[in-house]
Amino acid sequence: MFKQPVSSSDFDRNFRSEVMKHPDASGLNACFGCGTCTAGCPIHEVFPEYDPRKLAKMVKLGMRKQVLSSPYIWYCATCHNCEQHCPQNVKFFNVLNVLKNMAAKEGYAPSCWIQQTEQVAKTGIVFSTEEKWVKKREELLLPSLKSEGKDAKKIIEFGGINKIKPKVNFE
Amino acid sequence: MNKYALFLGCTTPTKVPQYELASRWVCKYFGIELIDIKDFICCGINQVNLSIEAGLLMAAMNLALAEAKGLDILTLCAACTGALAEAIEKLKDDTTKNRVNEKLREVGLEYKGRTRVNHISRVLYENIGVERIKKEVKKDLSGFRVAPHYGCHYLKPKSAFEGFEEPDNPRSLHQLISAIGAQPVNYEALDLCCGGKVFPVSEDLADSLVQKKLDSLKSKRIDAMVLQCQTCYLMYSDRQKEINKKFGKQYNLPIILYPQLLGLALGADPVKNLGLNLHTVSVDKVLEKIA
Repeated sequence: MFKQPVSSSDFDRNFRSEVMKHPDASGLNACFGCGTCTAGCPIHEVFPEYDPRKLAKMVKLGMRKQVLSSPYIWYCATCHNCEQHCPQNVKFFNVLNVLKNMAAKEGYAPSCWIQQTEQVAKTGIVFSTEEKWVKKREELLLPSLKSEGKDAKKIIEFGGINKIKPKVNFE
Repeated sequence: MNKYALFLGCTTPTKVPQYELASRWVCKYFGIELIDIKDFICCGINQVNLSIEAGLLMAAMNLALAEAKGLDILTLCAACTGALAEAIEKLKDDTTKNRVNEKLREVGLEYKGRTRVNHISRVLYENIGVERIKKEVKKDLSGFRVAPHYGCHYLKPKSAFEGFEEPDNPRSLHQLISAIGAQPVNYEALDLCCGGKVFPVSEDLADSLVQKKLDSLKSKRIDAMVLQCQTCYLMYSDRQKEINKKFGKQYNLPIILYPQLLGLALGADPVKNLGLNLHTVSVDKVLEKIA
C-alpha cells in the first residue's frame, strides 16, 4: 500500500477542502506534521505501515483515490491517543471518520460495519435476539429485552447509511 | 439523584450478562435505582464509521428517551459512555441540536440537553464515594494484586468528560480498587487499548494489542486484571486461549469486571449474584484466595 509514487499532477487539489469543510475535520488545517499522533498510536506500534501522520499529509496533498480506497483508514482502534497528545488539537480520530464516511459513499467500506448496521436496523442492537442468550438471561433472572428497534431503522435511514453499497471487500 | 436509566448497550446483555448481573446487584446494594428503557437502541459508536450523522442521531435518540423520563443515563460499556458523552458535547451547539431534533421529532422525541451520561464506575466513585465503599467492605482482599484497565472511551476524548480524569494518569479505578482493600498494580501498558473496535475489521491487529497487554503483565505477579467494559473483557478473556495458540504463549490471567470484585468484597454470592462461573478464563484461583 502506498508503494507506488503518485505524481503531483495527479493530486486532487479540491480534496483537502472537501474533507475539511466537515466540521469534524476542519482542525486538520492546523496540523504541522510533527507526528505525535503516529508516535502514540497503538496500531502503528504493531503495524508500522499504519501511520496517521502519513494519512494526514496525503489528505493535504490531495491524494484522494489513495486515501479513500485504502483499507488503512479503517484500522483505527478509536483509542483517541492521537488527539489526546496533538499539540495542535487536531482530532485525527474525527478526521478519520470523515474520511471513512467519504470512502463508504464511494463504495469502499468493510462489510462488517454494513452488516452490523443492518442488524441494528432489525433489532435495535448489533446482535440478533438469539435463543441461546435469551435463555441464559432467564436463568440469571435478568429482565427480558424486548426492543424491536422499530425506530432504529428510521434513525439509521435519516443518517443515510442505507444508501451505502459496498463494492470492495477489505477483509 | 440516585435513579438512572440503565443503558445496557448491545454486548453486555447478550455476551457478558455476568457484568449486568453484578452491576445490578451492586447498584441495589448502594440504593442506586436502575430503570430499564426498552426502546433504547445501540449507542451508534460503530455507525459513525459509515455516517457520523447516523451515529449522532442514534446517540441523541437514546439521550432523548432518558430525558423524556427525566433521568440521567448509567452505562456499563466504556464505548457507549464515550459515544453518548461525545454526542452530548456536539449537541451543545444549537445548530446541530436543532438539526438533530428535526429528525428526532419524526419518532416523537426531542433532546433538550438535560440528560447526562455516567459510567457505573464514575457513579460509584463520585456519588457513592471511596469512603462509603471502604466502610461497607466485608471480605479481606489485602494481598490481592490486580491490574486496572480503564478502557479508552471511559477517559477519552477528554473534552467529553469535563475534566473527570487526566487520561494520561487516571486514578479513579485505582482508588476504587484500593477502597476494597485490594492492591492496584501499575504496569507499562496501562493505557494500551484492547483493540475491540478494530477487531471486526482486523482480528490480527486487535490480537496484537491484546497480546502486548498480557505480556506486559506477565512479570507483575497479579491475581487478575480488573476492568470496566464488556468489550475489553471479551478481548482479554474470550480471546486469551486464541492468543495463546496464535503467539505460542501460556497466559492464564483471570479477567474480572469491577462490579464483580466490589460485589465479592461486599459479600455477594459469586455465582448467583456475580456470575463468576461464566468466565472464559477461570476465576477459581481468585475465589479461593478471597474465601
